[in-house]
Amino acid sequence: MSPTPFILMELQPVFAWIYELLQSLGFKGDLLTVVVYAGLGVTVFGVLALLALYLVWWERKIAGHIQQRFGPMRNGWHGWYQTMMDGLKLLQKEDVLVDTRDKPVFFWAPIICFVAAFCAYVVMPFGEGLIVADLNIGVLYIVAITTFTVISLLMAGWGSNNKYALLGGMRSAAQVVSYEVPMVASILTVILFTGSLSMVDIVESQSGMVFNWFIFRLPFGPIAFMIYITAATAEANRTPFDIPEAEQELVAGFNIEYSGMKFAMFFLAEFVNLFTVSAIAVTLFFGGWQGWEFIPSWIWFLGKTFMVVLLLMLFRWTYPRLRVDQLMEFAWKILVPIAFANLIVAGWMKHAGWYW
Amino acid sequence: MTVEQLKEYIAGKYPVMMTPLDTGRYDPVYEVKSGQLLEIARALRDDENLKFDFLCNLGATDTGERFEAVYSLASITKKLRLDFKVILPYEGAKIDSVQEIWPGANWFEREMWELYGIDVKNHGNLKRFLLPDDWDQGHPMRKNWDAPDFVRFPEL
Amino acid sequence: MSALRTEEFIVNMGPHHPSTHGVCRLMLTMDGEKIVAIEPYIGYLHRSLEKICENRTYHQCIPILDRFEYVTAMSCNYTFALAAEKLAQVEVPERAEYLRVIMLELNRIASHLIFFGTTAMDLGALTPFLYALRERELIMDLFEMTCGQRLTYNYIRIGGVSKDIPAEFVPKCREAIKIIDGKVDEYMALLNGNPIWKARTIGVGYLSPELAVAYGVSGPVLRASGVKYDIRRDDPYSIYDRFDFEIPCRENGDVFDRYMLRLDEIKQSIRIIEQALDGLPEGEIKGKVSLKFKPPAGEVYSRVENSRGELGVYILSDGSDKPVRVKTRGGSYSQLQALPHFGAGGLIADLVAIFASLDIIMPEVDR
Repeated sequence: MSPTPFILMELQPVFAWIYELLQSLGFKGDLLTVVVYAGLGVTVFGVLALLALYLVWWERKIAGHIQQRFGPMRNGWHGWYQTMMDGLKLLQKEDVLVDTRDKPVFFWAPIICFVAAFCAYVVMPFGEGLIVADLNIGVLYIVAITTFTVISLLMAGWGSNNKYALLGGMRSAAQVVSYEVPMVASILTVILFTGSLSMVDIVESQSGMVFNWFIFRLPFGPIAFMIYITAATAEANRTPFDIPEAEQELVAGFNIEYSGMKFAMFFLAEFVNLFTVSAIAVTLFFGGWQGWEFIPSWIWFLGKTFMVVLLLMLFRWTYPRLRVDQLMEFAWKILVPIAFANLIVAGWMKHAGWYW
Repeated sequence: MTVEQLKEYIAGKYPVMMTPLDTGRYDPVYEVKSGQLLEIARALRDDENLKFDFLCNLGATDTGERFEAVYSLASITKKLRLDFKVILPYEGAKIDSVQEIWPGANWFEREMWELYGIDVKNHGNLKRFLLPDDWDQGHPMRKNWDAPDFVRFPEL
Repeated sequence: MSALRTEEFIVNMGPHHPSTHGVCRLMLTMDGEKIVAIEPYIGYLHRSLEKICENRTYHQCIPILDRFEYVTAMSCNYTFALAAEKLAQVEVPERAEYLRVIMLELNRIASHLIFFGTTAMDLGALTPFLYALRERELIMDLFEMTCGQRLTYNYIRIGGVSKDIPAEFVPKCREAIKIIDGKVDEYMALLNGNPIWKARTIGVGYLSPELAVAYGVSGPVLRASGVKYDIRRDDPYSIYDRFDFEIPCRENGDVFDRYMLRLDEIKQSIRIIEQALDGLPEGEIKGKVSLKFKPPAGEVYSRVENSRGELGVYILSDGSDKPVRVKTRGGSYSQLQALPHFGAGGLIADLVAIFASLDIIMPEVDR
């Protein structure tokens, strides 16, 4: 049995070699599968951690250029290793702890946040055949696992024993739970047409020409995308929906009492989440890894994802922040009705066969 | 109403209660007896021709012999300015709160109480706010007050 | 369903909080996210400026009052100089008066630009802050060119100003105000139509004109509540009666109106500066004031309209070279005092917006 049926064609020989090496070292059966998957996990984790660091740098550069300054410039060419230095600094920092914290809750919150953020990548199709595991419930799994973040934020808010943190945690719970509804409704619109929850199937159903991308399926495609991207901004806690950590109101919100590496874990998880929601948007609406043949599929995927990330970053540096009650109103009174109306229209069109 | 007319009007209406002080150089200044403060204040605010509804400033002064509480008033609608002061003795200085007439006097009176030790009657919220909560070294704006660790520079 | 037991809790907003603009502490009694009561605690920046002034000569008081309200330090210089001049009946040369008006109005623009930036930042839009500071830099450069300082100028002295402007000041100033004039339109385009901005500001923090007058609220906050009162027009000082400008006034008294009113005021200040630059006469820049300035005994309260409302200085003189008493009054003091009476009832995010719209600066409150 081949442990990973989906692996990039060009890497197949390398993979076969590693596979043989492991076999010659005496791994076999289930143990071999476990080791291989663990190796894959570590690889994905490393790549994503690096990616998250770069997203931080990229965001700072974008912010700088929007605000007519340069952003980080000192460490390397245009400050390219600035965030690594920041990470190193955070690693060395003293872990300041409040005595009144709820110890286990406080300790586990950043870990759960970090792990949940990375778990979503198990089913993420980075390229043609480049996926850790093509679960047949891929989208459902992602929706479920990304919601874990809210538990960790609530734990951070509660465990810190700080009023601002608690307010931040409560806000994030309310926000993420509310925005989950329109988000899932817009994802359902896509699933209606693909007929499968598997990420690979979703991407493959959009193959062919550009107009097969889901965003170009008028009229429900663009509407679903807009609802998704709005809800995703809220899901990733970014301006204009960044109320859980609204720094002008709650100082730092849920992570107010965290310092050093624990803070860095929240921080990195935030950027991994940003990449996750963008990657899902690309998979669902922009044809995933698909593109012209002469460019490798994973470059297509990364390029498209970075474009969506750029969109979210532009939101952040342009818009003011919504108030908490306006945010909830927006979710329940505007987004949810539109999302469900869209879903019904899409279902009817599918039933009538008015689609391509 | 010009400044001259205002002075005449005041002289005509409150000849006894408001004593003009000094000078014709700037805005009119009057002295008011502390017992008549509330009466005068209310009259100045409610007078149809004056309508001093805006309390610009209220500050205490220590002249070395006595305290003075100086009220600077303005009229938004009639565009007038007027100052009056209440002279208080050094010992047991007490003054009525004018909050019921100008609610904005609250903090000014608190400051007066805190920094000069002038007792404000019917204030209702005399709590320290500029100085630390546990301050116990007297009233620092008084002329005879020196900081405990203060060494005066010798007069040259 | 049986009633859920809830409890009010107290949150200290400040002294170290990103949106209290300094070290103000607001003790909030909250019911969930909703604010039930506000109690301001001040004094963290109390430096006893008034007491220090009592031990300084009149000339030495001016740099101390720079620190009183450092965002518009020119007007602090000016208010004290005005009070001393009133006391001693000093004649101020024409050119000095024009220079003072130019500097005061430039400083008002600089202060309103900071207001614009910080308010936008408090509402979550981080970018306008950088834009506003970029334009403010033009004004800072003009000040630096004139008096060598960028924040605490010590420029307006008793009887005149300390230095004459350099030759390139006038063209540079015209250029700067032209740029700022265009940028103000850009700011309005940037935020005014934004639905989030509107939702956050319109109808938030209504201050009724009666309450405003009762608590001595002045300046742009008062005018945004519909009371058309500007000391430059209604109790004119310096040479403001010579210029043609309008007093912007708005009706609704909410955060949006306070924000818009300040942007309108920038436009009017630009008009004043243009007229002052056109009419700038040649001549002396300082009246006859000796270093041993001894005004006759007396007392005076002078007040000017600065960007935060009425800035007043009361001086009591006994005829010596040191004032017996200097009492300062800043607009922020009254505005912070009025805050508990109209700021409660909203969410914590509303309070942040209201606090930003009052444009409170703490050194002016604590002195």
